[in-house]
Amino acid sequence: MNFSNEMKERIKQFAKEQSQYYLEEAEMTYLEKLQHQIGQTKRKVTNKLSKLKTRSNVSIDVQNDLILYMSDYMNDLMENGISEQEAFERAKEELKFQSETTRSSDLKDKFVEYYENFNPADHEAIGLFYAGFMFFGISVGGLIGFIASGGRELFLSGGWIDTLIGTAVGGIIGIGLGLISNAIIVLKKKGENKL
Amino acid sequence: MLKGVLEGIVLEIISHGEIYGYEIAKKLRQLGFEELAEATVYALLLRLEKNKLVHITKKPSELGPPRKFYTLNEQGREALSSFWVRWDFLVDRIEMIRKEGMNKNEL
Repeated sequence: MNFSNEMKERIKQFAKEQSQYYLEEAEMTYLEKLQHQIGQTKRKVTNKLSKLKTRSNVSIDVQNDLILYMSDYMNDLMENGISEQEAFERAKEELKFQSETTRSSDLKDKFVEYYENFNPADHEAIGLFYAGFMFFGISVGGLIGFIASGGRELFLSGGWIDTLIGTAVGGIIGIGLGLISNAIIVLKKKGENKL
Repeated sequence: MLKGVLEGIVLEIISHGEIYGYEIAKKLRQLGFEELAEATVYALLLRLEKNKLVHITKKPSELGPPRKFYTLNEQGREALSSFWVRWDFLVDRIEMIRKEGMNKNEL
């Protein structure tokens, strides 16, 4: 049975998208072995393999394979009286990569990595930096606003506005400094983990 | 424990003679595995190929790309016999447990 040109394109597109997932899963056993042998993280090995995959004919081969498999299945469905469109939708649903093994395993790795490197002291230090800079900013900003507005004499006759503005600006500067210290700690931590 | 049962069934089907992917899926449906998703069979075939358990011959197809025909290679035959050994062991033990239960109920 022949498919319309539009359908052929859609099958090709589907095969192109899905073949990568299938290929990744099929390579998992090999990946795990390689990972143990060379002591690298799975992500590094996967990256290397994905570069190789895009350059090699393996991917095309799997795509072609999936196109044929899908076409056979669609033909079978159409012989039983199902329309081309319906057959495509059904085949797409049936052949969509179902195993979440690779992705969930990657996610698990990320969580493991996060918890392995998790240090409560870092989070405490980040919190203290935020609080410290906020207090510092609010007091310095408020004081500058208070003095600049004319001090105690003029405080009630409009000077309080400048004091308030100074406090708010000081608070924002404090948050900004807190963010910078947070970024410094994260980058430093990342650098330590790489070593 | 039951992991690899489908792989064993597919290896057995392939051992009967040269066959292509979708034909295997059809055969499984004929055997009563109707609920089996096409994706499961397809992924399994790809895994057999990656694990070098099958020999592949490509033949021209009427649908465009060449069609892959599978036969078992030496490694595949070994995997199949190992599967049957494990299967026989499993069946034997299950039967043993079943008989034990039946004997207790009779007493």
